[in-house]
Amino acid sequence: MNAHAHRVAGQRLPRLDGIGKVTGKHVYAADFTLPGMLFGKVLRSHRAHALIRKLDISRAAEIPGVRGIITSADIPAVRFGQAVRDTSVFALDRVLFVGHPIAAVAATSLEIAEQAIAAIDVEFDDLPALFDPEAALDSNIRIHPDWESYKALPIIARSGNISGRARIHAGDVDAAFASAHRVYEHRFTTPLVHPGYTEPRAAVADWDANSNVTVWSNTQLPFDTQNTLAEILDLPAARVRVIVPGIGGGFGGKLRIGVEHFAALLARKTARPVKVMTTSEEELTSAYPRQATVVSLKTAVDREGRLLAREGRIIVDCGAFAGSGPGTAAISLQIMVGPYKTPALALEGIAVYTNKVPSGSFRAPAGPMANFAVESQMDMIAKDLGIDPLEIRLRNIVKEGDLGPSGEIHKSVSIEECLRKAADAIGWEHRNPEPGRGKGIACSWWMTTGGSSGVYVKINPDGTATLVSGAVEIGSGAITGAAQVLAEELSLDLTDINVAGVDTQTAPFDYGAQGSRTAFSVGNACLAAASDLRRQMFDLAARQLDSQVDTMVLRDKHVVAGSKSISIAELARISRLSGGGLIAHGTAISPSPAYDPTRLENHPLPAWNSPSYHAHAVDLSVDPETGSVSINRYVVAQDVGFAINPTYIEGQIEGGVAQGIGQALSEEIVYRDGTVMNANLTDYKMPTAQDVPDVECILVECASAAGPYGAKGVGEPPCIQPPAAINNAIAAATGFWLRSLPMTAEKIAEQLRAGRT
Amino acid sequence: MTRTNLDIVVNGERHQILIEPHWTLLHVLRNVIGMMGTKENCLEAECGVCTVLLDGKSVNSCILLAGQVAGRSVTTIEGLGNPEHLHPLQAAFIECGAVQCGYCIPGMILTAKSFLDENPGRRPSRDEIREAIAGTLCRCTGYRKIVDAVALAAERMSVAGSNP
Repeated sequence: MNAHAHRVAGQRLPRLDGIGKVTGKHVYAADFTLPGMLFGKVLRSHRAHALIRKLDISRAAEIPGVRGIITSADIPAVRFGQAVRDTSVFALDRVLFVGHPIAAVAATSLEIAEQAIAAIDVEFDDLPALFDPEAALDSNIRIHPDWESYKALPIIARSGNISGRARIHAGDVDAAFASAHRVYEHRFTTPLVHPGYTEPRAAVADWDANSNVTVWSNTQLPFDTQNTLAEILDLPAARVRVIVPGIGGGFGGKLRIGVEHFAALLARKTARPVKVMTTSEEELTSAYPRQATVVSLKTAVDREGRLLAREGRIIVDCGAFAGSGPGTAAISLQIMVGPYKTPALALEGIAVYTNKVPSGSFRAPAGPMANFAVESQMDMIAKDLGIDPLEIRLRNIVKEGDLGPSGEIHKSVSIEECLRKAADAIGWEHRNPEPGRGKGIACSWWMTTGGSSGVYVKINPDGTATLVSGAVEIGSGAITGAAQVLAEELSLDLTDINVAGVDTQTAPFDYGAQGSRTAFSVGNACLAAASDLRRQMFDLAARQLDSQVDTMVLRDKHVVAGSKSISIAELARISRLSGGGLIAHGTAISPSPAYDPTRLENHPLPAWNSPSYHAHAVDLSVDPETGSVSINRYVVAQDVGFAINPTYIEGQIEGGVAQGIGQALSEEIVYRDGTVMNANLTDYKMPTAQDVPDVECILVECASAAGPYGAKGVGEPPCIQPPAAINNAIAAATGFWLRSLPMTAEKIAEQLRAGRT
Repeated sequence: MTRTNLDIVVNGERHQILIEPHWTLLHVLRNVIGMMGTKENCLEAECGVCTVLLDGKSVNSCILLAGQVAGRSVTTIEGLGNPEHLHPLQAAFIECGAVQCGYCIPGMILTAKSFLDENPGRRPSRDEIREAIAGTLCRCTGYRKIVDAVALAAERMSVAGSNP
């Protein structure tokens, strides 16, 4: 849109960490080693719900090379957790899921640590277990018998196995249902899915002579990890230093403490550096997958397909600990409304404990699950009323100034443009080009998470700038994007920006690589720092050039005042000798939009900052015999506000769609009686290069008021719509919709056979 | 445990080291020789991030015992090019925006190199490239820009008439 007005922002420039990554020089946490380092392993439960009758480490401790073993008896009795403090480092008197940590060993080699783990003697008394989230809602079995004693955020409503319950209500739902032309009720289910980052979670911990600990880890949230470690270790946070050397993907799975605490506790026990890294089996049994859900929708429409009311309930299976479950259940409600006007709402999100893996915040928490339900049902309604699926959406979408589900005002709305562009690109007028082939469409909206960001920017004596941020470059290119903003504002080239490593001891606070916020928030902080640096440079230049500040501009790496100029490099050298150098602290925080609190109950994320709008369209074929789906084309029209670097925004969309296709068609952590049946990367089926088409991206730029140059969050949305868009295309091809993810060939073939008989 | 001698060439340099019989080539590369460009993940030849070239052909170093490669020549990502002189594949991956987190990229590039070396002077189709790299999982990119990069490198290498 306004890329032509910028030299650096908006340009397809190569990322700053690219050369290091293609040459093998880039160091990831998994690559990090220290001299004398020990290797840690975690003993994990093989029982889903059981009392620990006996835990004997004596045989393991005698194995040569074992340097330390810890259990819950050796560490402070601390419960931690994001919304509910229900989690302990190790199981206390009981295990709550297969994979629950019981003890950890540090040894001189990984093999010895594994032998020691096998030599720990544990005996259990099994307890009745809960695996079905709906059964857990009102079961007499208590997964956390002491749940009432746990601390929790005041906003979180809990009872029994329910770790959080949120509601949104508006209008008169009963009256709307009573007077509706039609009412539709459907139930959908979605499974546990793993974020699938290629670098396992890894951490190395080392204690110094003053009893401070440093942890090198691939966390997405170094400051959150610092705080959680401080609680677990019973130390002030300032004595815990977290450094992120590099991170091989996260997608929300590396937000919360994973192995850092084991490394730190083992390092304290052994007085040696300790490294802990997960295996694929641990990843698929005891990491932080996306929650399985059950979504029920009851929707009332008028004769023209206009939405009148919606009742909805999502049950979020959070596993053995609440994790992000309460938040996910709450955010689901905004997704269950979608980018549509619905006058009457009665929506409820419930997070419930089961004896399964504790879950987390995989990319767009709640997004794919609730959108699968809402957008599939939208097409079912359209078909029943004889309305085109695109048309029914256009009749219901929000316009500028409409109220959102929390009573907030929709601003910078682009959903119609997204829908029309996606439909045009896929060739919507020919929805069934041949038998067994169909096209589907789905749309949604999503927040740009706020949260504060700080950066330090220092001008070096060669005129380059160093950017110090606590935000992790997770792979999205967001830090390159923020650096483009900084370079733009300082009249530098992108290659003039040096990005310092992430270190909680030296970097200003950042809310972290989560919530589609990094380029947005760090970019805003860079704008603020650049503004301060311009003032500093202009003040200095005023004395050097004998000119007035108000005549000055920054141009081509110089401060220019009329016919006089001085280079940024020269100013930096002068400042080093006379004033300690040119350095600025830029900060950013996105204010929460106004909303109507009477519509909400126990909702921790009531109104969305700078939301984005997007539509996906897919053209696919269904094999009439096997039921397997092959995707012919996939189009995304996404409102990004302003494309700071179109190449990496496309990368986010293409990669997000690939993850969404996995969730739609093949990915599921399969449990049987509390045990994961497919804890390896052959049986947990992530899309390969042969499963994903060349995703076509249409970048819509409807500027936000709050983002740098109008940018909106980009990273999470692309994985929201694929399940619904694909389901709707399957229905166009076959005449039926699936009600549960993943939509495997087996499920489709079964329906095809049922249709023939 | 009894250690035995291993004589291998890694990126043109000869190494004479002592190994335990169960050590994998991946373990030797990362933890004995100290070359961390070869990545570690599933350890079961399912993800492909540990791919290296053994006498020019791509292999999963996580399931090859180090003893099996005695006397043979291994190429890792560090041996392909360096920041001053990037291999055409490395340059194309940057140029096409095919790198995000980057953890699969060394394995992906070496898989692509093995494939292009088997098809000298030819410009493979996108489907052929997809099939060739399907054994290496990338969770960031959705593969489109990786296919773009391999196609671009293949084009340049076929024009140059030589495969560095």
